[in-house]
Amino acid sequence: MERQIIITLGRRIGAGGLEIASKLAERLGVKVYDKELIKIAARHSGISADLFEKNDERPIPKGRFARFFEQDYTQENAISEDGLFRTQSDIIRQLADEGSGIFVGRCADYVLRDREGMLSVFITADKADRIARIMEKDGLTAREAEKYIDQGERRRTSYYNYYTFKEWGDSASYDLCLNSSRFGIDGCVDCIIEMLGK
Amino acid sequence: MIPTELGTENVGKLLKQYAMPAIVAMAAASLYNMVDSIFIGQGVGPMAIAGLAVTFPLMNLSTAFGTLVGVGAATLISMLLGQKNYYMANRVLGNVVMLNVAIGVFVTVVGLVFLDPILYFFGASEVTIPYAREYMVIILAANIITHLYYGLNGVVRASGLPRKAMLATLLAVGLNTVLDPIFIFVLDMGIRGAAIATVLAQIVALVWITKILCDKNHVLHFSREVFRFDMKIAQRSLSIGMAPFLMNVASCFVVILINRQLQFHGGDMAIGAYGIINRIVFLFVMLNLGFTQGMQPIAGYNYGAKQYDRVRKVLKLTIICATITTTLGFLFGEIIPGTIVSLFTRDQSLRELSAHALRIDVALFPLVGFQIVVSNFFQCIGYVNKAIFLSLSRQLLFLLPFLIIFPRLWGTDGVWWSMPASDFVAAVIALVMIIRLMKNFGKDEKAILS
Repeated sequence: MERQIIITLGRRIGAGGLEIASKLAERLGVKVYDKELIKIAARHSGISADLFEKNDERPIPKGRFARFFEQDYTQENAISEDGLFRTQSDIIRQLADEGSGIFVGRCADYVLRDREGMLSVFITADKADRIARIMEKDGLTAREAEKYIDQGERRRTSYYNYYTFKEWGDSASYDLCLNSSRFGIDGCVDCIIEMLGK
Repeated sequence: MIPTELGTENVGKLLKQYAMPAIVAMAAASLYNMVDSIFIGQGVGPMAIAGLAVTFPLMNLSTAFGTLVGVGAATLISMLLGQKNYYMANRVLGNVVMLNVAIGVFVTVVGLVFLDPILYFFGASEVTIPYAREYMVIILAANIITHLYYGLNGVVRASGLPRKAMLATLLAVGLNTVLDPIFIFVLDMGIRGAAIATVLAQIVALVWITKILCDKNHVLHFSREVFRFDMKIAQRSLSIGMAPFLMNVASCFVVILINRQLQFHGGDMAIGAYGIINRIVFLFVMLNLGFTQGMQPIAGYNYGAKQYDRVRKVLKLTIICATITTTLGFLFGEIIPGTIVSLFTRDQSLRELSAHALRIDVALFPLVGFQIVVSNFFQCIGYVNKAIFLSLSRQLLFLLPFLIIFPRLWGTDGVWWSMPASDFVAAVIALVMIIRLMKNFGKDEKAILS
């Protein structure tokens, strides 16, 4: 491997982000880190994957009341939301230290923001296309798919904004924002690869 | 990275390592209050002790407003520093100062304007109100300093300098202990002297903390651009701080009820006795909180790693430590109550009343350590609602009805008895809940093995 490639990929639900990530990985010969980040984080920290799963790209469920006792229920406690997020971020940084990778979601663009040469990408698509993709993927009706997208994105926004102090999907925080309805999956992949060297 | 030694190192050694700093901090915090009470009792007199006790709820309320900002800010800062987001962490720092000043001024103004009605409502009488007023006017006037001191101390701790934060606390406690006798005995300033000593000690500690936070080499430091108000930061720190705030407000209401019942059934002397035993009991409860703080990272990690054996071990060990502590409190309170309360007052009748009250109050104290550890344990492993319920059970849910019913039957003694009664019910509930949890652990263990 001649050159380290680090791409972080934010995506709206149903925009085909994961498909783009895996095609990218195939063409570039690098790994995709999506859900398996959880397994890696669990393996490294010794903490059960269920807990990471429960906290995965979700808002802080008991955020308002979690810090009930005055003592800081923070990262000191490995299984608090903040503690789990910190472990996961440490794993993302470690993986980026070790080699190339495409990181999907999990605030990776924020966690890796200081990496030189990191390319942060956000994938969006027209609403109709996103609904259609979810309908096909999960076998839902249009209405169910729309609800699924709205709820999921609300969770994702809350999670992202909580940890990064930024706005999820705000174009100013990404290097490249692509509309997969406009360019197609392959078009997006081509574009990202072309921009990689710049 | 979360240290994985939490899952391998000897549990006893870990507990010692994590609990020690917390215990020192807790002991210092409770000594701070105790010293004031002792000097006021010895130097000013029994009615001054009662006057001081009347101010407790107001002090609780002021602390509540301090935690409203402080806890959230410390949480956010430690999270941001974990991500090396120094820019945002510094902006949180600036906003902490601004919020503390704003809320501090609010508490000062409202407190001073309505001081007399508030104090009467909290159980003051014609005799005790001059003391309460004299003390509170100074404390309220310096309220911003208190808030800033506690808020920034928490920030310093969260920013990776726990030793410096602790030294600042010890500095304030030490200074207060030295200044109290000077102002009360040498300068003969009465209860006002105690208030001035408290404030002066906090000013010195605050100056020192501010100096730490002005060091440009520290990741967190003041600069002009951090003092820009940010609605989002304010909202988030306040929402995190809301739970500890409400908890403090709840304990404030309970103390109001206790004071009012005592005033109604027993008069000023009974309130004075409460002022004394409250300080003694507080010390032991705070020490327990130190143990639970040490337990937290160990129990949390091992629960997450499903190492239930180690979870059980640390819980058991913490319960043992806490029970030893509260049992010591129980023994002191039952065997030599007179000697302990004589630290606070030379007045014979107040001594007798306080010793009598202390004896009743700590009657079931050995159970309290267990109860506190268990309710904190539920929080450690993420069962927040159960933790809230357990914590409120001892201090509010069960205490409240007893406090209303018992005094009707037995007068002042009814007030004292309501405390062990509530301890008992709360401990039973905690026992039932922890046994059920342990059964679930057992089931999960079997599931892992099969």
